[in-house]
Amino acid sequence: MSYDATYTKELPLVPERNSFKEIDDVILKPVDSKPTKKWWIAISISGTALAIGLFCWTMTVMYGIGLWGNNNTIGWGFDIVNFVFWIGIGHAGTLISAILFLFRQKWRTAIARFAEAMTIFAVLCATMFVALHTGRPWLDGYLFPYPNQNAIWVNFLSPLNWDVFAVNTYFIISFVFWTIGLIPDFATMRDRTKSGIKKIVYSVLSLGWSNSNRNWQHYERAYLILAGISTPLVLSVHTIVSFDFAVSIIPGWHTTIFPPYFVAGAIFSGFGMVLTVMIFVRKIFDMEHIITLDHIEKMNKILLATGTMVGYAYGMEMFMAWYSGYIFEQFAFLNRAFGPYWWAYWIMVACNVGFPQLFWFKKIRRNIPIMFVLVLLVNVGMWFERFVIIVTSLHRDFLPSSWAMYFPTMYDYGILLGSFGLFFTLILLFVRVLPSVAISEIKAVVPGAQPTHHNEGGSH
Amino acid sequence: MELQNKKEISGKVTTIGFILLGVGAILIAASFMVNKERAFFDYLIMYMFIISIALGSLALVALEYLVGANWSTPFRRISEFLSSMIPLLILLVIPVILGMHDLYHWTHQEAVETDPILKGKEPYLNNQFFFIRLGIYFVVWFLFFIAFIKNSKNQDKDGNVIYTKRNTTLSTVFAPVFMITLTFCAVDLMMSLEPHWYSTIYGVYYFAGTIVAAFASLTLISVLLKQNGYLDPRIGNDHFYSMGTMMFGFNIFWAYIAFSQLVLQWYADIPEETFWYMMRWEGSWKYVSLGLLFFHFVLPFLILLPRSVKTNLNRLKVMSIWLLVAHYLDLYWLIMPTYTHKAGLHGPVFGWNEIGFPLVIIGLFMIIFRRKSTKNNLMPVKDPKLEAGLNFHL
Amino acid sequence: MINKLINIFKKVNEDQNPWKDERSENVYAVAALFNTPNEIIHAAEKVSGDGYKDFDVNTPYPVHGMDDAMKLKPTRLGWFSFALGLTGTLTALSMIFYMNGIDYNNIIGGKPFFNFPPSIPVTFALTILFTGLTTAGVLIALFSKLPWLNNPLLDSDYSKATSQDKYGIYIKSSDPKFNQSEVENLFKSLGSSAVSLIYDSKVNEKKIKTPIFEAGFIKILIGVAIATSAITYITLNWLIFQPPFDWMVLQPKVLPQEKSKIFADGFGMREPVAGTVARGYMPYEYKGMPDSVVKLLSNPLPVNEKTLLTGQKRYDTYCSPCHGNYGKGDSRLRGQFPNPPSLLTDKLINWTDGNIYHVITNGQNVMSSYAKQISRDDRWAIVHYIRALQRSQNAKDSDLN
Repeated sequence: MSYDATYTKELPLVPERNSFKEIDDVILKPVDSKPTKKWWIAISISGTALAIGLFCWTMTVMYGIGLWGNNNTIGWGFDIVNFVFWIGIGHAGTLISAILFLFRQKWRTAIARFAEAMTIFAVLCATMFVALHTGRPWLDGYLFPYPNQNAIWVNFLSPLNWDVFAVNTYFIISFVFWTIGLIPDFATMRDRTKSGIKKIVYSVLSLGWSNSNRNWQHYERAYLILAGISTPLVLSVHTIVSFDFAVSIIPGWHTTIFPPYFVAGAIFSGFGMVLTVMIFVRKIFDMEHIITLDHIEKMNKILLATGTMVGYAYGMEMFMAWYSGYIFEQFAFLNRAFGPYWWAYWIMVACNVGFPQLFWFKKIRRNIPIMFVLVLLVNVGMWFERFVIIVTSLHRDFLPSSWAMYFPTMYDYGILLGSFGLFFTLILLFVRVLPSVAISEIKAVVPGAQPTHHNEGGSH
Repeated sequence: MELQNKKEISGKVTTIGFILLGVGAILIAASFMVNKERAFFDYLIMYMFIISIALGSLALVALEYLVGANWSTPFRRISEFLSSMIPLLILLVIPVILGMHDLYHWTHQEAVETDPILKGKEPYLNNQFFFIRLGIYFVVWFLFFIAFIKNSKNQDKDGNVIYTKRNTTLSTVFAPVFMITLTFCAVDLMMSLEPHWYSTIYGVYYFAGTIVAAFASLTLISVLLKQNGYLDPRIGNDHFYSMGTMMFGFNIFWAYIAFSQLVLQWYADIPEETFWYMMRWEGSWKYVSLGLLFFHFVLPFLILLPRSVKTNLNRLKVMSIWLLVAHYLDLYWLIMPTYTHKAGLHGPVFGWNEIGFPLVIIGLFMIIFRRKSTKNNLMPVKDPKLEAGLNFHL
Repeated sequence: MINKLINIFKKVNEDQNPWKDERSENVYAVAALFNTPNEIIHAAEKVSGDGYKDFDVNTPYPVHGMDDAMKLKPTRLGWFSFALGLTGTLTALSMIFYMNGIDYNNIIGGKPFFNFPPSIPVTFALTILFTGLTTAGVLIALFSKLPWLNNPLLDSDYSKATSQDKYGIYIKSSDPKFNQSEVENLFKSLGSSAVSLIYDSKVNEKKIKTPIFEAGFIKILIGVAIATSAITYITLNWLIFQPPFDWMVLQPKVLPQEKSKIFADGFGMREPVAGTVARGYMPYEYKGMPDSVVKLLSNPLPVNEKTLLTGQKRYDTYCSPCHGNYGKGDSRLRGQFPNPPSLLTDKLINWTDGNIYHVITNGQNVMSSYAKQISRDDRWAIVHYIRALQRSQNAKDSDLN
């Protein structure tokens, strides 16, 4: 190579040349071995959180959402805050698996599978909140248009109905994308396993995949198409979530930058969550040489970039609120920064725009403990962003007589805790039963994995 | 391998450029004599278009360093040459300043005094601050431009990677600065034409159009150079495919941003906002608006979707010209309604008055491109990424 | 039964698979393994160059340049995705146009019933959904012809090696040029590390043409159908009416005519603020009066198709839950509200239009006023529709002529 690889960002993806067998062994180790003590501790913690959540969930179903802190003025509380939060988390997965795939960022292979799984689980958590938020979740079937005796159709003019379509499509397509990626890995697992039961399960799941190149040819194109449609889909989902707010005329909600701003925020929070989980996983399952520090550094750079984009949106909102000359808008933003919820606003700004600026320094980008604290702060900050948008905009209504404050109840906190419990339980189960790194994809990018005469003179 | 450009770009380019420039200048002068106000608006469109190409191209240069892409390295010089219009922006702004009274309603002191909303905006929309801001934009852009070009040029001599490193650092700083200055530049020069209207996404909208235009111009020139044999033979379909994909992708991004702005204001239906769209829907403006939708998004989307178009040089050439015209139309759609509304016309105006302006743009770019290309290498010959960039395959 | 299952489980886990794959004597293919990607590309070029058609390459991941080496045609998968994606777009647009634009008009925020900008999100989502599902489905079923669990390659050492770290190529015995020793020599000359024979699986020999017609499968299918129907029926007709699933009628609220502690005068129902009238409100001059007064009120609407269709629509939406789709008084409310008498009785047939209109507007007995829900014109249209129902449900033989 005639150039210094450092400045072209073309570092080898897997630093040491692992044999393919070693790759299989490392990736499938959690699947093949018995759970460790660490795993049991982790799942008991997340299981407890899930149980608490289930209790609060059941109580809400039994007695209704009057148990929550929502009131007449603040009609959307934790339910929607958490919905938007979890949907946002999901976005990083699709971004890593689809957008980075389109941009041919090969470092994504190490984390794509994992991130996609997170997407699916996060969307599940999010769906749980909106389903419950309707008050009578057992009647949510009415959200879909179906011919009925009352000759009524759903209202397609409502952004809440757009959500129904967007979120469901998002879940289905993410799931399909993930499953398609898993088929070759199931084939590998089928051919490795010694246990008869596992063999049958993997055989069925792999559909009899034989790694044939006549199949790979179509497979690669299908993967490209799925990535191509997932990219606008992921942007559209958070865009539509932002429409829930922005099509209204509530000051602080009705602002045209909401769609790209929400998308940037979603990617930001998603990367925060992916990193939080990834730091643990690579440690616990000895995957440090597959999910390397370089991957993590790149993700930190994306955090810095998206955090700054979010900061741009905060700034534009503030500026335009003043510039608009519209007193309600001006009041809404002054109230955000200096009203009763000033603390939430400044937590949001500090965690989302302030602290990530530390990622300008290479040392911090590559320092696991400091980075871990920073990504946790990103998660906190993004949760507060949704809190600020929803609660502070609602609590000072046009009519001062209906001004109110929001006090979440233990059920609100319980369900929030439960959603984390659900998420981490699913993650822990996932790493036990499925390969958390895409085996066939990682093999394809190991140095020496591709024929040399195809493109002489260098990598690309 | 020898990487010097094999032949110099023909002097004819300069000659044609000067002819276009001359014809354009005469037409513009006539336009100013016949209808001063209308000509100022046309001039503003032209000026914004030049900013789009010049600044957008500089952004592409920075983008390449920022993401560490190497497929675009062989084309970086083209973007660098295009961004050489940046120093000229200071000269070209003079007519805009002279025409401020005709262009910007907020410069009318008597109107501001009677209008509480404009009065409230006075701390921002006033002559002094406007000039200061413009000055800041030009200085910032100019300094970044000089720094980028200098590093890139110096690397041609010794191929030292330190220059790549410097430009990478520079581009990380440039990214936020570019976004902020571009936003406020769009707010100042275009959004304040309607001082009562506001939209937080405006900067992003202009940014999207800018990047589309920059990619389109890069593609157009690359294809022309390739077809006339100025480019390295190793530059092939995969490079052009990537360029076409970028153009395609950012065009979708533009549509997304435009749709976001439209649907939010349509839905909320607040008179403070909707009048801006009403102005673009009254009379025959309706057809321009619909035309923009189809011409800027729907048709290019459908045409650029298949893989075969993005690897066919002739089709790519047509599409890049198409998108450049679309960006011009977009700017026309953003700027001109203010004039027609003021003049009491219920439809777009287009006639010989407008023709001169695009001619000047083409002429200027031709002259500058040829001048720069004879003085510099057409490729960053010693760039450490060049080899990988030339050998790029999908 | 349970013991039997446990036994099967044990056997399977000890790899004494009762469905263990057995091979016949027929050679299905000759397969060769290679160690590097360069070798396999070379081998594929050679094999396709020699004119073999029925061959395939197995690699643990897609190897660049293999499509060219094997001389494969470019995949046409994209066209399927595009076509079905377009179908999704059109489906969504026509669905929204029909449902909101034609069949069920609702004024929301003064916006047009059907408009393009707000239809885009749903249209977009359905386009993506159709494209994604088609791409996945077509990839699996049409292009890869999966599931194919009795593929003879599976379970062979060759296949196990290629799903881990080897690059394999095989030529099927069905190839017209196939000659076992020639093929073996070809592979050896290419430097293969292991050449092996793959035998046909016995399952393939049985030649089960359409497994979906097998008795076992049909039994399972019927079982699943019955279970699904039963669960759906129980859920929709029984489960969701059980606590804790409550219905809106049961929630704590002030019902009409009830007392309320919130207001000093104790009335739950409130008068509008004195001197105010709702927009578009037209007072009903016979409010609260007995039927006899309004007999002479006549229907201002002409009887035509449009009126009757409007009437039908409004009747189906607002009246049919209690009165039944044909006015027979067969309520769908499952006894949660008393069933009203039939609308088809002689008494009602002899009522004047004004009388029916008065009942809709004013309410009668337990039926409350529908003046707020249904506009004046629509109420008159419903009256016409009820007349049509009365006529059609009491049709005479002579009507057929």
